[in-house]
Amino acid sequence: MSEELDLALGVLDHQLLDCEGRRCGNVDDLAIEGGPGEEAKVVAILSGPGVWPGRAGLIGRIAAWIGGGGRVRIPWEEVAEVEAHVRLRKRAADYGLGRGDDRLRPWIERIPGANR
Amino acid sequence: MKVFKIALGILAAIGGFVDIGDLVFNVAAGATFGYQLLWVVVVGVVGIIVYSEMCGRVAAVSGKAVFDAVRERVGFGAGLATLIAAQIVNLMTLAAEVGGVAICMRLLSGLPYRWLLLLAIVALAVVVWFVSFEWIERIFGYGGLCLLVFAVGAVKLHPDWGAVADGFLPSLNTEDPLLYCYFAVGLLGAAMTPYEVYFYSSGGIEDGWTLKDLGLNKANAVIGYGLGGFLSCALMITGGALFLEQGIEPEFLGTIALGAGTPLGQVGLLLALIGILFAVGGASIDTLFAGAYNLAQFLGWEWGRYRTNAGAPRFTLTWMVLLALAFGIVMTGIDPVMLTEYAVIFSVVALPLTYLPILLVANDRAYMGRYANGRLANVLGVVYFGVIMIVSLSAIPLLILTNAGQG
Repeated sequence: MSEELDLALGVLDHQLLDCEGRRCGNVDDLAIEGGPGEEAKVVAILSGPGVWPGRAGLIGRIAAWIGGGGRVRIPWEEVAEVEAHVRLRKRAADYGLGRGDDRLRPWIERIPGANR
Repeated sequence: MKVFKIALGILAAIGGFVDIGDLVFNVAAGATFGYQLLWVVVVGVVGIIVYSEMCGRVAAVSGKAVFDAVRERVGFGAGLATLIAAQIVNLMTLAAEVGGVAICMRLLSGLPYRWLLLLAIVALAVVVWFVSFEWIERIFGYGGLCLLVFAVGAVKLHPDWGAVADGFLPSLNTEDPLLYCYFAVGLLGAAMTPYEVYFYSSGGIEDGWTLKDLGLNKANAVIGYGLGGFLSCALMITGGALFLEQGIEPEFLGTIALGAGTPLGQVGLLLALIGILFAVGGASIDTLFAGAYNLAQFLGWEWGRYRTNAGAPRFTLTWMVLLALAFGIVMTGIDPVMLTEYAVIFSVVALPLTYLPILLVANDRAYMGRYANGRLANVLGVVYFGVIMIVSLSAIPLLILTNAGQG
Protein backbone atom coordinates (compact mmCIF):
# COMPACT_ATOMS: atom_id res chain seq x y z
CA MET A 1 0.00 0.00 0.00
CA SER A 2 2.44 2.65 -1.07
CA GLU A 3 0.56 4.21 -3.99
CA GLU A 4 -0.61 7.77 -3.72
CA LEU A 5 -4.13 8.27 -2.46
CA ASP A 6 -6.33 11.27 -1.92
CA LEU A 7 -6.59 10.65 1.80
CA ALA A 8 -9.27 13.18 2.62
CA LEU A 9 -11.58 11.90 -0.09
CA GLY A 10 -10.54 8.29 -0.53
CA VAL A 11 -9.90 7.04 3.00
CA LEU A 12 -11.11 9.38 5.74
CA ASP A 13 -14.66 8.64 6.96
CA HIS A 14 -14.86 5.45 4.91
CA GLN A 15 -16.31 2.15 6.07
CA LEU A 16 -13.91 -0.39 7.57
CA LEU A 17 -14.41 -4.02 6.57
CA ASP A 18 -12.59 -6.92 8.18
CA CYS A 19 -11.21 -9.91 6.26
CA GLU A 20 -14.63 -11.59 6.42
CA GLY A 21 -16.44 -8.57 5.00
CA ARG A 22 -17.92 -7.54 8.33
CA ARG A 23 -18.60 -3.82 8.79
CA CYS A 24 -16.55 -2.88 11.84
CA GLY A 25 -16.36 0.89 12.21
CA ASN A 26 -15.24 3.87 10.17
CA VAL A 27 -11.94 5.57 9.49
CA ASP A 28 -12.55 8.32 12.03
CA ASP A 29 -9.09 9.85 11.71
CA LEU A 30 -5.60 9.16 10.36
CA ALA A 31 -2.27 9.30 12.17
CA ILE A 32 0.22 11.03 9.88
CA GLU A 33 3.95 11.33 10.54
CA GLY A 34 6.63 13.45 8.98
CA GLY A 35 8.10 16.77 10.07
CA PRO A 36 8.39 20.00 8.04
CA GLY A 37 10.17 19.33 4.76
CA GLU A 38 9.81 15.59 5.11
CA GLU A 39 7.41 13.41 3.19
CA ALA A 40 4.17 12.98 5.16
CA LYS A 41 3.18 9.37 5.63
CA VAL A 42 0.07 7.73 7.04
CA VAL A 43 1.08 5.37 9.83
CA ALA A 44 -2.27 4.34 11.29
CA ILE A 45 -6.05 4.46 11.10
CA LEU A 46 -7.88 5.71 14.19
CA SER A 47 -11.41 4.53 14.86
CA GLY A 48 -13.89 5.00 17.69
CA PRO A 49 -15.73 7.69 19.66
CA GLY A 50 -12.51 8.84 21.34
CA VAL A 51 -11.47 10.39 18.03
CA TRP A 52 -14.64 12.41 17.48
CA PRO A 53 -13.92 15.44 19.72
CA GLY A 54 -11.00 16.29 17.43
CA ARG A 55 -13.28 16.09 14.41
CA ALA A 56 -16.30 18.14 15.41
CA GLY A 57 -15.78 20.31 18.49
CA LEU A 58 -18.66 20.46 20.97
CA ILE A 59 -21.05 18.24 19.02
CA GLY A 60 -18.20 15.74 18.60
CA ARG A 61 -17.47 15.81 22.35
CA ILE A 62 -21.11 15.16 23.18
CA ALA A 63 -21.24 12.29 20.68
CA ALA A 64 -17.99 10.86 22.07
CA TRP A 65 -19.36 11.07 25.62
CA ILE A 66 -22.49 9.16 24.56
CA GLY A 67 -20.38 6.66 22.64
CA GLY A 68 -18.10 5.93 25.61
CA GLY A 69 -14.91 7.51 24.29
CA GLY A 70 -13.01 4.37 23.26
CA ARG A 71 -10.61 4.39 20.33
CA VAL A 72 -8.67 1.84 18.34
CA ARG A 73 -5.40 2.35 16.46
CA ILE A 74 -4.82 0.15 13.44
CA PRO A 75 -1.34 0.26 11.87
CA TRP A 76 -1.47 1.14 8.16
CA GLU A 77 0.28 -2.17 7.35
CA GLU A 78 -2.97 -3.91 8.34
CA VAL A 79 -4.81 -2.32 5.42
CA ALA A 80 -5.29 -4.92 2.69
CA GLU A 81 -7.13 -2.82 0.16
CA VAL A 82 -8.60 0.65 -0.31
CA GLU A 83 -11.53 0.64 -2.69
CA ALA A 84 -15.03 1.88 -2.04
CA HIS A 85 -14.41 0.62 1.51
CA VAL A 86 -11.21 0.09 3.49
CA ARG A 87 -10.54 -3.61 3.90
CA LEU A 88 -8.36 -4.95 6.75
CA ARG A 89 -6.19 -8.07 6.80
CA LYS A 90 -7.52 -9.73 9.94
CA ARG A 91 -10.81 -10.20 11.78
CA ALA A 92 -12.46 -7.27 13.53
CA ALA A 93 -11.99 -8.81 16.99
CA ASP A 94 -8.22 -9.02 16.42
CA TYR A 95 -8.11 -5.23 16.36
CA GLY A 96 -10.72 -4.67 19.06
CA LEU A 97 -13.16 -3.37 16.45
CA GLY A 98 -16.91 -4.08 16.43
CA ARG A 99 -16.94 -4.70 20.18
CA GLY A 100 -20.30 -2.98 20.65
CA ASP A 101 -21.95 -5.48 18.30
CA ASP A 102 -20.18 -8.41 19.96
CA ARG A 103 -21.26 -7.35 23.44
CA LEU A 104 -24.88 -6.84 22.41
CA ARG A 105 -25.22 -10.03 20.36
CA PRO A 106 -25.81 -12.48 23.25
CA TRP A 107 -28.72 -10.34 24.46
CA ILE A 108 -30.34 -10.21 21.03
CA GLU A 109 -29.82 -13.96 20.64
CA ARG A 110 -32.02 -14.62 23.68
CA ILE A 111 -35.07 -13.56 21.68
CA PRO A 112 -36.57 -16.41 19.63
CA GLY A 113 -35.99 -16.00 15.90
CA ALA A 114 -32.84 -13.90 16.35
CA ASN A 115 -31.05 -15.77 13.60
CA ARG A 116 -33.73 -15.28 11.01
CA MET B 1 -38.10 -14.85 -15.27
CA LYS B 2 -36.16 -11.62 -15.27
CA VAL B 3 -39.11 -9.67 -16.66
CA PHE B 4 -41.22 -11.21 -13.94
CA LYS B 5 -38.78 -10.09 -11.26
CA ILE B 6 -38.71 -6.57 -12.66
CA ALA B 7 -42.50 -6.47 -12.74
CA LEU B 8 -42.68 -7.55 -9.11
CA GLY B 9 -40.22 -4.84 -8.11
CA ILE B 10 -42.17 -2.20 -9.97
CA LEU B 11 -45.44 -3.24 -8.38
CA ALA B 12 -43.83 -3.00 -4.95
CA ALA B 13 -42.46 0.44 -5.80
CA ILE B 14 -45.89 1.76 -6.83
CA GLY B 15 -47.45 0.61 -3.60
CA GLY B 16 -44.44 1.79 -1.65
CA PHE B 17 -44.40 5.32 -3.02
CA VAL B 18 -47.56 6.62 -1.41
CA ASP B 19 -47.38 7.23 2.33
CA ILE B 20 -49.34 9.28 4.85
CA GLY B 21 -47.62 12.48 3.68
CA ASP B 22 -48.75 11.95 0.08
CA LEU B 23 -52.26 11.05 1.20
CA VAL B 24 -52.61 14.13 3.37
CA PHE B 25 -51.00 16.69 1.07
CA ASN B 26 -52.42 15.49 -2.25
CA VAL B 27 -56.02 15.25 -1.07
CA ALA B 28 -55.79 18.50 0.93
CA ALA B 29 -54.24 20.31 -2.06
CA GLY B 30 -57.09 19.04 -4.26
CA ALA B 31 -59.69 20.09 -1.70
CA THR B 32 -58.17 23.59 -1.48
CA PHE B 33 -56.97 24.38 -5.01
CA GLY B 34 -58.73 21.83 -7.20
CA TYR B 35 -56.44 20.55 -9.93
CA GLN B 36 -54.17 23.61 -10.05
CA LEU B 37 -51.25 21.91 -8.30
CA LEU B 38 -51.08 18.72 -10.37
CA TRP B 39 -47.95 20.04 -12.08
CA VAL B 40 -46.15 20.07 -8.73
CA VAL B 41 -46.76 16.32 -8.36
CA VAL B 42 -45.03 15.79 -11.72
CA VAL B 43 -42.08 17.97 -10.66
CA GLY B 44 -41.77 16.07 -7.37
CA VAL B 45 -42.01 12.63 -8.94
CA VAL B 46 -39.36 13.38 -11.54
CA GLY B 47 -37.15 14.60 -8.68
CA ILE B 48 -37.51 11.43 -6.65
CA ILE B 49 -36.92 9.34 -9.79
CA VAL B 50 -33.70 11.21 -10.60
CA TYR B 51 -32.25 10.89 -7.10
CA SER B 52 -33.48 7.35 -6.41
CA GLU B 53 -31.99 6.12 -9.67
CA MET B 54 -28.73 7.84 -8.73
CA CYS B 55 -28.46 6.38 -5.24
CA GLY B 56 -29.61 2.95 -6.43
CA ARG B 57 -26.84 3.05 -9.03
CA VAL B 58 -24.29 4.12 -6.42
CA ALA B 59 -25.40 1.24 -4.18
CA ALA B 60 -25.18 -1.31 -6.99
CA VAL B 61 -21.78 -0.15 -8.26
CA SER B 62 -19.91 0.79 -5.06
CA GLY B 63 -21.92 -0.79 -2.23
CA LYS B 64 -22.30 2.61 -0.59
CA ALA B 65 -25.62 3.69 0.90
CA VAL B 66 -26.71 7.29 1.42
CA PHE B 67 -25.21 7.88 4.85
CA ASP B 68 -21.90 6.33 3.81
CA ALA B 69 -21.84 8.97 1.10
CA VAL B 70 -22.94 11.75 3.46
CA ARG B 71 -20.12 11.02 5.86
CA GLU B 72 -17.45 10.65 3.21
CA ARG B 73 -18.41 13.81 1.42
CA VAL B 74 -19.36 16.34 4.08
CA GLY B 75 -17.11 14.98 6.84
CA PHE B 76 -17.79 14.03 10.43
CA GLY B 77 -19.07 17.32 11.85
CA ALA B 78 -21.51 18.39 9.13
CA GLY B 79 -22.39 14.73 8.62
CA LEU B 80 -23.32 14.39 12.28
CA ALA B 81 -25.50 17.49 12.08
CA THR B 82 -27.19 16.03 8.97
CA LEU B 83 -27.69 12.74 10.80
CA ILE B 84 -29.35 14.41 13.79
CA ALA B 85 -31.69 16.44 11.57
CA ALA B 86 -32.51 13.38 9.48
CA GLN B 87 -33.22 11.24 12.54
CA ILE B 88 -35.56 13.81 14.12
CA VAL B 89 -37.59 14.21 10.92
CA ASN B 90 -37.54 10.48 10.37
CA LEU B 91 -38.86 9.77 13.86
CA MET B 92 -41.68 12.28 13.37
CA THR B 93 -42.57 10.59 10.08
CA LEU B 94 -42.41 7.14 11.66
CA ALA B 95 -44.72 8.22 14.49
CA ALA B 96 -47.16 9.74 11.98
CA GLU B 97 -47.19 6.56 9.87
CA VAL B 98 -47.73 4.34 12.92
CA GLY B 99 -50.59 6.61 14.01
CA GLY B 100 -52.01 6.25 10.50
CA VAL B 101 -51.89 2.47 10.76
CA ALA B 102 -53.85 2.59 14.03
CA ILE B 103 -56.42 4.99 12.56
CA CYS B 104 -57.01 2.62 9.63
CA MET B 105 -57.34 -0.30 12.00
CA ARG B 106 -59.87 1.66 14.06
CA LEU B 107 -61.92 2.52 10.98
CA LEU B 108 -61.89 -1.15 9.96
CA SER B 109 -62.59 -2.61 13.43
CA GLY B 110 -64.14 0.07 15.64
CA LEU B 111 -61.81 -0.79 18.54
CA PRO B 112 -60.24 1.96 20.71
CA TYR B 113 -57.36 3.93 19.14
CA ARG B 114 -54.76 3.50 21.90
CA TRP B 115 -55.15 -0.28 22.05
CA LEU B 116 -54.80 -0.41 18.30
CA LEU B 117 -51.63 1.67 18.55
CA LEU B 118 -50.18 -0.99 20.82
CA LEU B 119 -51.36 -3.69 18.45
CA ALA B 120 -49.85 -1.85 15.47
CA ILE B 121 -46.48 -1.49 17.19
CA VAL B 122 -46.40 -5.16 18.18
CA ALA B 123 -47.47 -6.24 14.69
CA LEU B 124 -44.78 -4.10 13.06
CA ALA B 125 -42.10 -5.44 15.41
CA VAL B 126 -43.14 -9.05 14.73
CA VAL B 127 -43.13 -8.49 10.96
CA VAL B 128 -39.70 -6.84 10.99
CA TRP B 129 -38.27 -9.51 13.30
CA PHE B 130 -39.54 -12.58 11.44
CA VAL B 131 -40.19 -11.65 7.81
CA SER B 132 -37.38 -11.39 5.26
CA PHE B 133 -36.65 -8.09 3.56
CA GLU B 134 -37.88 -9.36 0.22
CA TRP B 135 -41.24 -10.41 1.61
CA ILE B 136 -41.68 -7.22 3.61
CA GLU B 137 -41.29 -5.28 0.36
CA ARG B 138 -43.77 -7.55 -1.40
CA ILE B 139 -46.48 -7.78 1.25
CA PHE B 140 -46.76 -4.04 1.79
CA GLY B 141 -46.09 -3.07 -1.81
CA TYR B 142 -48.80 -5.30 -3.22
CA GLY B 143 -51.25 -4.48 -0.43
CA GLY B 144 -50.67 -0.81 -1.19
CA LEU B 145 -51.81 -1.43 -4.76
CA CYS B 146 -55.39 -1.41 -3.40
CA LEU B 147 -54.92 2.37 -3.54
CA LEU B 148 -55.51 2.06 -7.29
CA VAL B 149 -59.17 2.20 -6.28
CA PHE B 150 -58.63 5.97 -6.02
CA ALA B 151 -57.79 6.08 -9.72
CA VAL B 152 -61.07 4.31 -10.55
CA GLY B 153 -62.88 6.57 -8.11
CA ALA B 154 -61.36 9.70 -9.65
CA VAL B 155 -62.70 8.71 -13.09
CA LYS B 156 -66.14 7.87 -11.65
CA LEU B 157 -66.35 11.29 -10.04
CA HIS B 158 -66.39 12.74 -13.58
CA PRO B 159 -63.95 15.58 -13.03
CA ASP B 160 -63.76 18.39 -15.57
CA TRP B 161 -60.95 16.83 -17.64
CA GLY B 162 -60.15 20.15 -19.30
CA ALA B 163 -59.44 21.65 -15.88
CA VAL B 164 -57.42 18.55 -14.95
CA ALA B 165 -55.28 18.99 -18.07
CA ASP B 166 -54.78 22.70 -17.27
CA GLY B 167 -53.51 21.66 -13.82
CA PHE B 168 -50.45 20.08 -15.38
CA LEU B 169 -49.32 23.52 -16.57
CA PRO B 170 -47.94 25.81 -13.86
CA SER B 171 -50.20 28.76 -13.16
CA LEU B 172 -50.78 31.05 -10.22
CA ASN B 173 -54.47 31.78 -10.35
CA THR B 174 -55.46 32.27 -6.76
CA GLU B 175 -56.24 34.93 -4.18
CA ASP B 176 -53.94 33.28 -1.68
CA PRO B 177 -50.50 32.81 -3.29
CA LEU B 178 -48.83 32.07 0.07
CA LEU B 179 -51.13 29.14 0.76
CA TYR B 180 -50.59 27.97 -2.83
CA CYS B 181 -46.83 28.03 -2.26
CA TYR B 182 -47.22 26.25 1.08
CA PHE B 183 -49.06 23.40 -0.61
CA ALA B 184 -46.54 23.33 -3.47
CA VAL B 185 -43.70 22.95 -0.96
CA GLY B 186 -45.63 20.30 0.95
CA LEU B 187 -46.34 18.32 -2.22
CA LEU B 188 -42.69 18.42 -3.24
CA GLY B 189 -41.67 17.39 0.27
CA ALA B 190 -44.16 14.54 0.31
CA ALA B 191 -42.96 13.25 -3.08
CA MET B 192 -39.26 13.66 -2.33
CA THR B 193 -39.24 12.65 1.36
CA PRO B 194 -35.64 11.88 2.37
CA TYR B 195 -36.45 8.53 3.95
CA GLU B 196 -37.40 7.26 0.50
CA VAL B 197 -33.82 7.61 -0.75
CA TYR B 198 -32.31 6.29 2.49
CA PHE B 199 -34.50 3.24 2.21
CA TYR B 200 -34.13 2.86 -1.53
CA SER B 201 -30.32 2.89 -1.52
CA SER B 202 -29.95 0.61 1.51
CA GLY B 203 -32.67 -1.61 0.08
CA GLY B 204 -30.56 -2.05 -3.05
CA ILE B 205 -27.77 -3.40 -0.85
CA GLU B 206 -30.25 -5.56 1.11
CA ASP B 207 -31.36 -7.05 -2.20
CA GLY B 208 -27.72 -7.68 -3.16
CA TRP B 209 -27.73 -5.42 -6.21
CA THR B 210 -24.70 -5.58 -8.49
CA LEU B 211 -23.89 -4.17 -11.92
CA LYS B 212 -26.37 -6.65 -13.39
CA ASP B 213 -29.22 -4.92 -11.55
CA LEU B 214 -28.70 -1.45 -12.98
CA GLY B 215 -31.59 -2.05 -15.40
CA LEU B 216 -33.80 -3.19 -12.55
CA ASN B 217 -32.84 -0.05 -10.62
CA LYS B 218 -33.81 2.17 -13.53
CA ALA B 219 -37.09 0.35 -14.10
CA ASN B 220 -38.01 0.46 -10.42
CA ALA B 221 -37.27 4.15 -10.14
CA VAL B 222 -38.81 5.34 -13.40
CA ILE B 223 -41.85 3.09 -13.77
CA GLY B 224 -42.50 2.32 -10.10
CA TYR B 225 -42.25 5.89 -8.83
CA GLY B 226 -43.80 7.18 -12.05
CA LEU B 227 -46.92 5.12 -11.47
CA GLY B 228 -46.78 6.08 -7.78
CA GLY B 229 -47.01 9.66 -9.02
CA PHE B 230 -50.04 8.66 -11.08
CA LEU B 231 -51.67 7.53 -7.82
CA SER B 232 -50.80 10.87 -6.22
CA CYS B 233 -52.52 12.66 -9.10
CA ALA B 234 -55.59 10.45 -8.65
CA LEU B 235 -55.70 11.44 -4.97
CA MET B 236 -55.54 15.12 -5.84
CA ILE B 237 -58.23 14.79 -8.51
CA THR B 238 -60.42 13.03 -5.94
CA GLY B 239 -59.82 15.91 -3.54
CA GLY B 240 -60.70 18.43 -6.22
CA ALA B 241 -63.75 16.66 -7.64
CA LEU B 242 -65.29 15.64 -4.34
CA PHE B 243 -64.15 17.75 -1.42
CA LEU B 244 -63.59 21.14 -3.08
CA GLU B 245 -67.10 21.18 -4.50
CA GLN B 246 -68.66 20.19 -1.19
CA GLY B 247 -66.43 22.51 0.81
CA ILE B 248 -64.99 19.69 2.93
CA GLU B 249 -61.52 19.91 4.44
CA PRO B 250 -60.20 16.36 4.70
CA GLU B 251 -58.71 16.54 8.18
CA PHE B 252 -59.03 12.83 8.90
CA LEU B 253 -57.69 9.76 7.14
CA GLY B 254 -61.24 8.42 7.10
CA THR B 255 -62.35 11.41 5.04
CA ILE B 256 -59.65 10.59 2.50
CA ALA B 257 -60.97 7.02 2.23
CA LEU B 258 -64.42 8.48 1.46
CA GLY B 259 -62.84 9.80 -1.73
CA ALA B 260 -63.10 6.24 -3.05
CA GLY B 261 -66.16 5.28 -0.97
CA THR B 262 -68.40 8.02 -2.33
CA PRO B 263 -68.16 7.08 -6.03
CA LEU B 264 -67.69 3.33 -5.55
CA GLY B 265 -69.71 2.42 -2.47
CA GLN B 266 -68.74 0.09 0.33
CA VAL B 267 -66.30 -2.01 -1.69
CA GLY B 268 -64.48 1.14 -2.73
CA LEU B 269 -64.30 2.34 0.86
CA LEU B 270 -63.01 -1.01 2.06
CA LEU B 271 -60.36 -1.24 -0.67
CA ALA B 272 -59.29 2.33 0.07
CA LEU B 273 -58.89 1.58 3.78
CA ILE B 274 -56.95 -1.63 3.10
CA GLY B 275 -54.78 0.21 0.57
CA ILE B 276 -54.08 3.01 3.07
CA LEU B 277 -53.36 0.45 5.81
CA PHE B 278 -50.75 -1.35 3.72
CA ALA B 279 -49.26 1.81 2.23
CA VAL B 280 -48.90 3.46 5.62
CA GLY B 281 -47.80 0.20 7.28
CA GLY B 282 -45.14 -0.27 4.60
CA ALA B 283 -44.03 3.33 5.04
CA SER B 284 -43.76 2.70 8.81
CA ILE B 285 -41.30 -0.10 8.14
CA ASP B 286 -39.44 1.96 5.51
CA THR B 287 -38.97 4.85 7.93
CA LEU B 288 -38.11 2.48 10.77
CA PHE B 289 -35.38 0.83 8.71
CA ALA B 290 -34.25 4.18 7.31
CA GLY B 291 -33.57 5.47 10.84
CA ALA B 292 -31.58 2.36 11.74
CA TYR B 293 -29.69 2.38 8.41
CA ASN B 294 -28.68 6.01 8.84
CA LEU B 295 -27.25 5.61 12.34
CA ALA B 296 -25.49 2.34 11.54
CA GLN B 297 -23.97 3.67 8.32
CA PHE B 298 -22.80 6.88 9.91
CA LEU B 299 -21.09 4.98 12.73
CA GLY B 300 -19.81 2.09 10.61
CA TRP B 301 -21.86 -0.58 12.39
CA GLU B 302 -22.94 -3.80 10.76
CA TRP B 303 -26.43 -3.27 9.34
CA GLY B 304 -29.18 -4.80 7.24
CA ARG B 305 -32.05 -7.21 7.59
CA TYR B 306 -30.10 -9.60 5.30
CA ARG B 307 -27.52 -10.04 8.09
CA THR B 308 -30.23 -11.53 10.41
CA ASN B 309 -31.31 -9.87 13.66
CA ALA B 310 -28.38 -11.18 15.70
CA GLY B 311 -25.95 -10.62 12.83
CA ALA B 312 -26.35 -6.85 13.13
CA PRO B 313 -27.06 -6.36 16.86
CA ARG B 314 -26.78 -2.57 17.16
CA PHE B 315 -28.85 -2.11 14.02
CA THR B 316 -31.52 -4.37 15.51
CA LEU B 317 -31.46 -2.53 18.83
CA THR B 318 -31.73 0.80 16.99
CA TRP B 319 -34.95 -0.08 15.19
CA MET B 320 -36.39 -1.45 18.42
CA VAL B 321 -35.63 1.82 20.22
CA LEU B 322 -37.03 3.88 17.34
CA LEU B 323 -40.24 1.87 17.37
CA ALA B 324 -40.57 2.38 21.13
CA LEU B 325 -39.98 6.15 20.75
CA ALA B 326 -42.56 6.39 17.98
CA PHE B 327 -45.03 4.54 20.19
CA GLY B 328 -44.39 7.04 23.00
CA ILE B 329 -44.97 9.97 20.65
CA VAL B 330 -48.31 8.77 19.26
CA MET B 331 -49.53 7.61 22.67
CA THR B 332 -49.48 11.25 23.80
CA GLY B 333 -52.58 11.58 21.62
CA ILE B 334 -50.96 13.91 19.06
CA ASP B 335 -52.96 13.98 15.81
CA PRO B 336 -51.06 11.88 13.22
CA VAL B 337 -52.34 14.01 10.33
CA MET B 338 -51.01 17.18 11.94
CA LEU B 339 -47.75 15.42 12.78
CA THR B 340 -47.51 14.38 9.13
CA GLU B 341 -47.77 17.98 7.96
CA TYR B 342 -44.97 19.09 10.25
CA ALA B 343 -42.82 16.06 9.37
CA VAL B 344 -43.15 16.75 5.64
CA ILE B 345 -42.35 20.46 5.98
CA PHE B 346 -39.35 19.83 8.24
CA SER B 347 -38.10 17.06 5.98
CA VAL B 348 -37.90 19.60 3.15
CA VAL B 349 -35.39 21.54 5.24
CA ALA B 350 -33.19 18.42 5.58
CA LEU B 351 -33.34 17.64 1.84
CA PRO B 352 -30.26 19.52 0.51
CA LEU B 353 -27.79 17.82 2.86
CA THR B 354 -29.20 14.44 1.88
CA TYR B 355 -29.21 14.99 -1.86
CA LEU B 356 -25.91 16.83 -2.34
CA PRO B 357 -23.68 13.91 -1.23
CA ILE B 358 -25.63 11.56 -3.53
CA LEU B 359 -25.03 13.87 -6.46
CA LEU B 360 -21.31 14.13 -5.62
CA VAL B 361 -20.70 10.41 -5.19
CA ALA B 362 -22.71 9.55 -8.31
CA ASN B 363 -20.28 11.81 -10.19
CA ASP B 364 -17.13 10.32 -8.68
CA ARG B 365 -15.41 8.30 -11.37
CA ALA B 366 -13.02 6.78 -8.83
CA TYR B 367 -15.88 4.60 -7.57
CA MET B 368 -18.41 4.82 -10.32
CA GLY B 369 -16.13 4.46 -13.36
CA ARG B 370 -18.22 4.42 -16.51
CA TYR B 371 -21.37 4.20 -14.43
CA ALA B 372 -20.91 7.76 -13.15
CA ASN B 373 -23.69 10.25 -13.92
CA GLY B 374 -24.25 10.97 -17.59
CA ARG B 375 -25.23 14.39 -18.87
CA LEU B 376 -28.98 13.86 -18.40
CA ALA B 377 -28.65 12.71 -14.80
CA ASN B 378 -26.35 15.64 -14.02
CA VAL B 379 -28.46 18.33 -15.65
CA LEU B 380 -31.55 17.02 -13.84
CA GLY B 381 -29.58 16.48 -10.63
CA VAL B 382 -28.28 20.05 -10.57
CA VAL B 383 -31.62 21.60 -11.58
CA TYR B 384 -33.37 19.66 -8.85
CA PHE B 385 -30.75 20.59 -6.35
CA GLY B 386 -31.57 24.23 -7.12
CA VAL B 387 -35.29 23.52 -6.68
CA ILE B 388 -34.60 21.77 -3.39
CA MET B 389 -32.55 24.71 -2.09
CA ILE B 390 -35.33 27.20 -2.86
CA VAL B 391 -37.99 24.96 -1.38
CA SER B 392 -35.87 24.20 1.66
CA LEU B 393 -35.27 27.87 2.44
CA SER B 394 -38.93 28.81 2.02
CA ALA B 395 -40.51 25.85 3.88
CA ILE B 396 -40.40 27.16 7.46
CA PRO B 397 -41.36 30.78 6.60
CA LEU B 398 -44.35 29.45 4.64
CA LEU B 399 -45.31 27.15 7.51
CA ILE B 400 -45.41 30.15 9.86
CA LEU B 401 -47.02 32.62 7.43
CA THR B 402 -49.86 30.26 6.49
CA ASN B 403 -50.30 28.86 10.00
CA ALA B 404 -49.56 25.35 8.65
CA GLY B 405 -52.04 25.72 5.81
CA GLN B 406 -54.90 26.84 8.03
CA GLY B 407 -54.79 30.34 6.48
